[in-house]
Amino acid sequence: MTRALESLLHAANQVVLGKEIQIRLAICCLLARGHLLIEDLPGVGKTTLAHTLAKLMGMDYQRIQFTSDLLPADILGASVFEPEKQQFTFHPGPIFRQMVLADEINRATPKAQSALLEAMEERQVTVEGKTYALPQPFFVIATQNPSHQLGTFPLPESQLDRFLMRLELGYPSAAAERALLAGQNRQQLIQTLQTQLLPEDLQAMQLAIAQVHTAEPLLDYVQAILAFTRRSQEYACGLSPRAGLALMQAAKTWAFMQQRDAVIPEDVQAVLPAVAGHRLRPSSNDAEAIVAPILAQVAIP
Amino acid sequence: MSNSKQAELASAQVFSMLLGAVGLTVLPHAWNLSWDIFLGFFVLWSWRCIGVWRPRYLPSKALLFAVTLLSLGFLYSQHQGVFGRDAGTRIFVIALGLKLLEIKTIRDVQLTVNFAFIIAATLFLYQQSLLMAAYIIVVCLSLLMTLNAIHSKITDVMLLARCVGVMLLQALPVCIALFVLFPRLEAPRWAFLNERTLTKSGLSDTLEPGSITDLGLSDELVFRVKFTGSRPPPDELYWRGPVFSHTDGKHWTPSLSNKARRHPDDLRFAGNSYNYTLLLEPQSKPWVFALDMPASLAPNLVMNADYQLITTVNPEQRAEYALRSYPHYNTGVLPPIEAQENLALPQTISPEIKNLVGELAGFTQPPAVFIQAVLRYFREQPFYYTLSPPLMVEHPIDTFLFQTRTGFCSHYATAFVYLLRVAKIPARVVSGYQGGKLNAIGEFLEIRQADAHAWAEVWLAGQGWVRFDPTAAVAPERIQQGVNIDMQLASGTVNFSLFDAAAQHGVLAQWYQTLRQGWQNVDYSWQRWVINYNTANQASFLQGLGMQDMATALRWLLISIALCTFSIFVFLMRRPVRVPDRALRHYQRFLRQLARHNLVCATGETASAFAQRVGEQLPACRAEVEQITQLYLQCRYGKQVEVAQLQTLAKLAAGFKLKA
Repeated sequence: MTRALESLLHAANQVVLGKEIQIRLAICCLLARGHLLIEDLPGVGKTTLAHTLAKLMGMDYQRIQFTSDLLPADILGASVFEPEKQQFTFHPGPIFRQMVLADEINRATPKAQSALLEAMEERQVTVEGKTYALPQPFFVIATQNPSHQLGTFPLPESQLDRFLMRLELGYPSAAAERALLAGQNRQQLIQTLQTQLLPEDLQAMQLAIAQVHTAEPLLDYVQAILAFTRRSQEYACGLSPRAGLALMQAAKTWAFMQQRDAVIPEDVQAVLPAVAGHRLRPSSNDAEAIVAPILAQVAIP
Repeated sequence: MSNSKQAELASAQVFSMLLGAVGLTVLPHAWNLSWDIFLGFFVLWSWRCIGVWRPRYLPSKALLFAVTLLSLGFLYSQHQGVFGRDAGTRIFVIALGLKLLEIKTIRDVQLTVNFAFIIAATLFLYQQSLLMAAYIIVVCLSLLMTLNAIHSKITDVMLLARCVGVMLLQALPVCIALFVLFPRLEAPRWAFLNERTLTKSGLSDTLEPGSITDLGLSDELVFRVKFTGSRPPPDELYWRGPVFSHTDGKHWTPSLSNKARRHPDDLRFAGNSYNYTLLLEPQSKPWVFALDMPASLAPNLVMNADYQLITTVNPEQRAEYALRSYPHYNTGVLPPIEAQENLALPQTISPEIKNLVGELAGFTQPPAVFIQAVLRYFREQPFYYTLSPPLMVEHPIDTFLFQTRTGFCSHYATAFVYLLRVAKIPARVVSGYQGGKLNAIGEFLEIRQADAHAWAEVWLAGQGWVRFDPTAAVAPERIQQGVNIDMQLASGTVNFSLFDAAAQHGVLAQWYQTLRQGWQNVDYSWQRWVINYNTANQASFLQGLGMQDMATALRWLLISIALCTFSIFVFLMRRPVRVPDRALRHYQRFLRQLARHNLVCATGETASAFAQRVGEQLPACRAEVEQITQLYLQCRYGKQVEVAQLQTLAKLAAGFKLKA
């Protein structure tokens, strides 16, 4: 199981260069059954990362390019009248896949966004009164451009909350960029990737993650963090209980990925920027900066 | 009261708790009160129970008043007053039942609970056993739970029980201080303890063996003895009771003239002595059963002319006596009046008996030889020991000696004494107890009614009164082992309870014995240390603690109550600091070491990050620091912490020294 995880990480690092931490967090997010939001400038490898993960995890994959004229039916599917059968038949939309890459999600109108986000929360789709279950597992990796760019509809906080983690990729380091420039085409590289994770592996990992121990002092620490965000002047509003659950789940998964059977404060600290960064109304947009006061001021019990 | 209209009404839950607690309080009075009072109370109680759910069935004020008058009239007609234990308890119980019917507000509930505490106290007037004490604790618990429910508004019963349990535990030190130090009131217990606690069977002052066909043995406890030093062998365990000198051929009664001691100083002792304390259960007669022959007397005892101990205090109270006895003694000369008394026989002596005495050389040989001959006669002729002998109405001695030849100790003792008197040897019957069962846990002997025994005393020149036990000649095991109540249970001679009988067989027997002995030991301690803690015992105990008078004791009482209250106050008021677990304590010790060298773990810095920082600054310690950190994380956050890991962490943290 750990070997599968290691080879998954290794293979992903071969494609997306110099982003070990982000890749690890992204995989952590998916193992924790969470949806992932990747935010950064165009062209830093968001789509490549999402595509790579889908391929390596052996899931059927669909990309939806969000544009300002995208309609909910373009995501969910629609009933079409078939003249030879004289009846309406539901044609499932691109969302009926195990892994959906919602590219540039903040380019679409709120109506289209909410169609996707509802599916993420319920893991089912209702079209014209009929409910269709989405495949299992179901992951959404959304990418968005920084909200200050032109032509974007920023996601409201309630919808940001649906994403377990938000990652920022950033520019690659010089060495990584040089390797990228010297190496072969990334799209072709992705096509040659082998599946590293079988569905039963994923299931076993998720079971193992549920078994990871959280000691009383650790729960104290997480509670202290939650209390601090609610009390502190740095944030407009604190972390919700759902955010607390997300933090625990992510920390447990992180501890599992570090091959530990119990969560320690470092695990919480490692996932905190990704989990809490987009849930706290920021004064600056930098996740690290947002959570920095937490890390610096909350004592580890 | 002006605010009683706005007073809070009691909820159904408070009612059910109150009714449950009150029901529990009165329940044991089923054994103490007459059935009409008991039933009357529970009728009122049930009425109230119905009223909780159907308030319209509750009595109106007028009806309640009428019921009250009726009850009072009934009580008055029964007791002609309110004095005495029974009358008082009855009034309390009925008043409690009536009070239940008029409860409406929380305030009424509180009053009723306080009243129920008094009823709980009356239970002690009837029974003072350990079991009753335990029961009353349960009653108090339930009453306090009701009070607590009113005030705290807690509805969870388990939580209430926990709160009240903690409260009772907090009250325990004060309770002990009050018990030990508060002046004991010397209440005349016999005035309010009824006869139920007293012995029903027991030794009688008349012996009439022929009229008994079935010796009713009970396992009722008579007294307990604890020896300091060595214990006598079983064949010396004769506990002396009334002595029978006078007979009319059928009945045996004590000497008619033994009211005063006639020979105060001719008892001479020899050999070793046994010291013991004797805890006598309540008796109807003032007899104290000392080991033959008692020498030093407790101040409240006198010895009568038959060397029997008589207590001068009320025998209906449980009492403890410290005694010393010598198994070897000489009673000296026999005054003529006593000799005459112990030779006297009814007018007619049958020729068969005269023949028998002649055959056994009673008229020719010295007394010692004749006694041996009689004992041999009992042993060699077909005499049998039984607890169910046939009835011997006319001439019981003749019938026993020549026809039935079966009987128990009294038959043998009386026949033996009779034969000796025919041979002109002074002899008399002594009754009392023989043997006793050793409680292995408490190391004391328990003597029960079943150990009752009768033996003979013969006056021999130069030796005084000498004990002979003719029963031993027939049934030596009776003397060696005592009347083994268990053996008799097994043989079906006596039956006390199914459980006792069942316990004789099978694997349960040993457990049962151990349990029984353990329980009896606890009960012994309870009786001895708690119930028997009276003015005299308290005074000597307090003197042992260095408190000479009551004023000092009361001062100490106030001091100890103040101390208890203060410590509970401090305990309750302390800041609720979360106790860091042991791993954290060890780790903090390690941190203190590092802090001396300005290596301080920052707020929010993880242990691993700190370890890395320390490792960079002090490469010499890196391995050790990392090991301690790993162990700490394992112990503090890990799933299963092994004791060994914690110990290693403690050792490493304690031994950690900085290496430059």
